[in-house]
Amino acid sequence: MSNNNYFSGIFFGVKSLLTGLGVTMKEFFTRKITEQYPENRKELKMFDRFRGRLVMPHNDKNEHKCIGCGLCQMACPNGSIKVTTESVELPDGKKKRQLVKYEYDLGCCMFCELCITACPQGAIEFCTDFENAVFDRTKLVQQLNLPGSHVAEKPVAPKPAAPAAEKPATEKPAAPAAEAPANTNPEKPAAV
Amino acid sequence: MFDFTKVTNWIDALLLSFLPGWAATLVECVLVALVIITLYAVFAIILIYMERKICAFFQCRLGPNRVGKWGSIQVLADVLKMLTKEIIDMKNVDRLLHKMAPFLVIVASMLTFACLPWNKGAGVIDFNIGIFFFLAAGSIGVVGILLAGWSSNNKYALIGAMRSGAQIISYEVSIGLVMLTMIVLTGTMSFSEICQQQADLGWNIFRGHIPAALAFIVYLIAGNAECNRGPFDMPEAESELTAGYHVEYSGMHFGFYYLAEYLNLFICAGIASTIFLGGWAPLHIWGLDGFNHVMDYIPGAVWMVGKTFFVVFLLMWIRWTFPRLRIDQLLALEWKYLMPLSLVLLVVMALCVSLGLTF
Amino acid sequence: MTTESIIFILLAAFVAVFSVLSVTTKRIIRAATYLLFVLFGTAGLYFLLGYTFLGAVQIMVYAGGIVVLYIFAIMLTGKSKDAQQKPIALGKRFAALMAALIGAGLLMFVVISHHFVSTSLSAEVTNESAAPISQIGSSLLSAGEGGNLLPFEAVSVLLLACIIGGLIIARKR
Repeated sequence: MSNNNYFSGIFFGVKSLLTGLGVTMKEFFTRKITEQYPENRKELKMFDRFRGRLVMPHNDKNEHKCIGCGLCQMACPNGSIKVTTESVELPDGKKKRQLVKYEYDLGCCMFCELCITACPQGAIEFCTDFENAVFDRTKLVQQLNLPGSHVAEKPVAPKPAAPAAEKPATEKPAAPAAEAPANTNPEKPAAV
Repeated sequence: MFDFTKVTNWIDALLLSFLPGWAATLVECVLVALVIITLYAVFAIILIYMERKICAFFQCRLGPNRVGKWGSIQVLADVLKMLTKEIIDMKNVDRLLHKMAPFLVIVASMLTFACLPWNKGAGVIDFNIGIFFFLAAGSIGVVGILLAGWSSNNKYALIGAMRSGAQIISYEVSIGLVMLTMIVLTGTMSFSEICQQQADLGWNIFRGHIPAALAFIVYLIAGNAECNRGPFDMPEAESELTAGYHVEYSGMHFGFYYLAEYLNLFICAGIASTIFLGGWAPLHIWGLDGFNHVMDYIPGAVWMVGKTFFVVFLLMWIRWTFPRLRIDQLLALEWKYLMPLSLVLLVVMALCVSLGLTF
Repeated sequence: MTTESIIFILLAAFVAVFSVLSVTTKRIIRAATYLLFVLFGTAGLYFLLGYTFLGAVQIMVYAGGIVVLYIFAIMLTGKSKDAQQKPIALGKRFAALMAALIGAGLLMFVVISHHFVSTSLSAEVTNESAAPISQIGSSLLSAGEGGNLLPFEAVSVLLLACIIGGLIIARKR
């Protein structure tokens, strides 16, 4: 506790205070990053990480990647996803599970992204739309697969361990996309 | 420079022409009071808007921008809101003191506001002891704050008031010493004479060079603390005391504290610009006669208000940069650093003046 | 009836009313506040006389210093709710009455014998009596004729003693 400490303390203090003042003065003149929403909605660009609502991307041939495995439905903690599948007969006699309806309730969703992590096919993702307000709660329940869409056929099946959760499935390389036969019942409708 | 006494003398003569002496004085007093109160309100609105905008800019935001162009009438809307709010009566408080405290604060603030010299010949309260009167009137505000804390019957308010009292009384020491330093330089305590001197001889901060510049910095720090503004806003630290001594006030009673806070900021800056930066004296650079001549055409009131807002900006810059001090750090800053420094400055300034080292 | 007399009467009434309130109120913090107003009134009288320096000192030292000190002390000593109000003993009442009467008598004697009432305030007095601050300062620190250096230094010794006393009371053991 000498005098030396006292004076060096003053100089150190003044120096650090001046540093702080410098930082704020620089900030004073930087361009402000505030988005003025209703005015700039035309050019407003949300950042990529933003989770607005769940979508199922379709390609230009109206094909999606969903195989109807229901993993997302099981992963969802809020039960906001309901996958309806049906079993169809393929020309070669095999049965194949097919997505009928992919229902997503935006009102229940908590944007945890567990469904996307669970999806083996990368069929669903969050888009950056944020103007989701509607006047009626029923409008929040959306069907994600477009009418008339079907699963994109893959030429080869790299197919990692994803469908292992499903039934044994004696599938052939001919039927590339992971299809599990004989399980037509749309798994228990998740209690909403 | 334009001498404002021509206007006041003309008004005086006009009133005396059809009124007896005492009535003329009364009318003049009322007129001056009206002008002061109007200026007070107008500057409060400007300052609150300025604070919100500048705070936003320092934080990389835009600030109010919805009500009016660039949010310019936001503050007016806030004032209307505050005027229409209910003033709540509480149980178990000392009603009389609770209602009186804001008025003490605002009266002290208005008295000091009236001390500012606006132009040559346009000072309202101009004694030969101007600075001393300013300090005396400013010290009334502490009583208001202490009474507010006591009468609210609320522990946060009480703690806030105690902190505020300790803080203001401590920092008044520094302010007084710094003002003494500058009085040593000027040799007078009257605001009008100080300004006139600076118009003739140059601004005090240049005349007194090193000690005056250091005194200016000490004054800014102590003045900021005197106004209870960040980083010295312990008395109303939101995170721990919710709002300190005015936590129980609502409506316009709170509005008085709010007004007084901003006007004290303005007064602090105004006194700084009067004592250090020349008040209404225009900027003269020795040797540049053409430049000086142009500067003389700018009215004194513009100089005064401009300098004051410059100092206000400095104080806001400080406020929005530094984190809040703890109460013991705050008192240590005053008693261990600022007060010794201002004592040294006083001695150095006295030496400079007696040895003729000032300009 | 000049303007000065009217203002003087107003100020005097102000001081008198608040003096009475200050001693009759039952709440100590209110008493301190009324005392503050009494001191304001006194300062107003000084300003009326043109003694601006004295008026400012009155506000600075008494209103800004002493009353704040009182209020601080009251705040630190807690509420006086539990202080039971015993009826004052008869002897004490008698003593108080006598003290008041004798005090009033002395004051009246001094006032009347000095003819304060007869010299009314006038504008000339108001303007002449304002002593320049430099004169006050030099007489305060001069050791020559009429200088006040000795009392000044005596007061500073007193204050020094107060500071040392405060340090000794507050030091850690």
